[in-house]
Amino acid sequence: MKLWQKVFLCTLILVMLAVGVTSILLLENSFTLAMNQKKQSVYNEHEFLITNFKSMVITERLRQNAVVLEEAQVEKLMKENMKEEAAGSTIFLDEERTQICTNKNESIPEELLLLVKKEKSVCMQGKKEKMYTASLERIEGVNYYFVTVQDISDVVKIHEDMLQRIQMISMGCAVGIAMILLVVVKLLLHPLQRINAGTRAIAQGEYEKRISEKGRDELSELAHNMNCMAEAVEKNVKALEDVAENRKQFIDNLSHEMKTPLTSILGFSDLLQIKREISEEKRIEYAGIIKEEATRMRTLSGKLMELITVGEANVEWQQEDMKQLFEEVGNSLKIVAQKQKMQLSCEAEEGSLLVDKELFKSLLYNLVDNAIKASGEGDRIEVQGYFEEEEFIIVVADQGIGIPGEEVEKITQAFYMVDKARSREKGGAGLGLALCTEIVALHQGTIRFESELNQGTRVIIRMKGGQSDE
Amino acid sequence: MIQILIVEDDPNIAKLIEATVAIGGYQGTVCNNGKEAFEKMEHQSYDLVLLDVMLPDMSGFEIMRNRSNTETPVIFITAKQELTDKVRGLRLGAEDYIVKPFEAMELLARIEVILRRVKKTENTYSYGNISVNVEEHTCKCGEEEVYLTPKEFEVLVFFIQHKDVAISRERLLAAVWGYEYEGETRTIDIHIQQLRKKLKLKDKLVTIPKLGYRLESAKE
Repeated sequence: MKLWQKVFLCTLILVMLAVGVTSILLLENSFTLAMNQKKQSVYNEHEFLITNFKSMVITERLRQNAVVLEEAQVEKLMKENMKEEAAGSTIFLDEERTQICTNKNESIPEELLLLVKKEKSVCMQGKKEKMYTASLERIEGVNYYFVTVQDISDVVKIHEDMLQRIQMISMGCAVGIAMILLVVVKLLLHPLQRINAGTRAIAQGEYEKRISEKGRDELSELAHNMNCMAEAVEKNVKALEDVAENRKQFIDNLSHEMKTPLTSILGFSDLLQIKREISEEKRIEYAGIIKEEATRMRTLSGKLMELITVGEANVEWQQEDMKQLFEEVGNSLKIVAQKQKMQLSCEAEEGSLLVDKELFKSLLYNLVDNAIKASGEGDRIEVQGYFEEEEFIIVVADQGIGIPGEEVEKITQAFYMVDKARSREKGGAGLGLALCTEIVALHQGTIRFESELNQGTRVIIRMKGGQSDE
Repeated sequence: MIQILIVEDDPNIAKLIEATVAIGGYQGTVCNNGKEAFEKMEHQSYDLVLLDVMLPDMSGFEIMRNRSNTETPVIFITAKQELTDKVRGLRLGAEDYIVKPFEAMELLARIEVILRRVKKTENTYSYGNISVNVEEHTCKCGEEEVYLTPKEFEVLVFFIQHKDVAISRERLLAAVWGYEYEGETRTIDIHIQQLRKKLKLKDKLVTIPKLGYRLESAKE
């Protein structure tokens, strides 16, 4: 059952019940009042009749000059007194409840007479559309029951009429209320349908869909919360899609980077195999290319392994002395720099930092390697490490070719190379900075690039948790 | 001589393709830049273009979209092996799509298929005193006509086209019987024997151990 149907039916039933009960109670009340009035008038008439009869008996006694009237004379008087045309019936009974005389045939309820005998006063009883009034009267030393019967059908009739009319009114009310309720409930619950349609659309994947938040009631609150939920879902889905997209991009690039050397290796070895005659010159050239491309693949797989292992858990955290570590790295890199006729300085302030030694060295190697690749003969490369407040800062600066402004954002992407031909020539795989970014992230630091074309590049890394010895 | 434009940014692969098309007897011109390649395609006439997709300055797809000369057949040679890329390449009007890494003979075979389709190949081939007419499907040894079965004929043409190249049985199967053919390589051996017998090629059509066969050029 739909909510609007439930609300509609419940309200309708409750309203109808309230209307019905109230009107019936009112009706009963007015009926009782009318009945009491009727009873009073019936009682008065009864009293009047009996008083009238008693005075007739006295008049008769005085006329006959007797002390006491005979029983038969009284009964005779009773019979004379019966009037056919009277509205109600009048009945006399003797002490044994035997009917003496009546003007209309009536059956008298026995229990009323018994009650009168017991109570010794006037008693009344309504039965169907008649009201019985009875009293025990002592006339001339003998007990008689005197019963008057009055028609009360008019009161009952009015009551029944009213009842019928109330039923009619109730029915009319029910229809009217039902219609108004239907409209009101539908109007009030209309936003719910909107929310329903909106959430269904969101559930079916339209994460950018939003529900309108009109009004200030609970439904608009619900719509607002739904929108918040949709927003969160959209954000998370977007993030997941980005991750998937990045991964796909990575795999695409990787397969491209692997296929290029593979194509040369396979192709030239194929040529060496199938050709009947190859000049010595060509043979050396082809074999040289195969070797070169195999070396390229070895570099790629090495870098790739490094990149994969960075993400894994086998990191050994240790407090390392920076000055010593920088000297160590500087000594081995100076040889490389000197071969290329470049000057390298590698210094750090004394102090310790919680790092993984191998990864940290790899970070410095990669950055200096990049600097060497970007620089020409006679250029200077400076590597500095120092503590600043809570942070350890590493700056690698060169005077090389620099990075074009619009490319800076992309250089940390795996396999991204600003100048592919140049990178290939220098034996790069396009993974160095991706690796550096991973290592810095693992050490909870930040990496930033400042570069000017043909002026040089500065790489600035900030790592937290440093401890200066000063 | 048939002119082929090789558009490839990796110098080694470019060299490889150049050497491969040279086996087939074609003249290759290497171009390593997308824009340059586009200019060349617009202003010079080539019989075929071998086009890489990922190129500096202008991608292979862009070149295909913007070129005005749609007569020249184009074969994409790329590392992108996803079906969507393949479909995209073919939709742009490429004749074929070759995924790296590829075998030299496969590239040659595909080039020949395309050239035959646009009727750039010759109708007659000759080898020593043997002459073959592809259109008439006839083979003459000296002045005498030799009757060959259709498959024998195709095998002969393939060998003449690739003189001095060792051809594996698998390659020959793929080229003559089609890529889907799952016959035995023994079939090849029988056809080779027939050819040797009918055309007296016993010394020229030599067996290369563990590889296949080679038709050696007649040296004076």
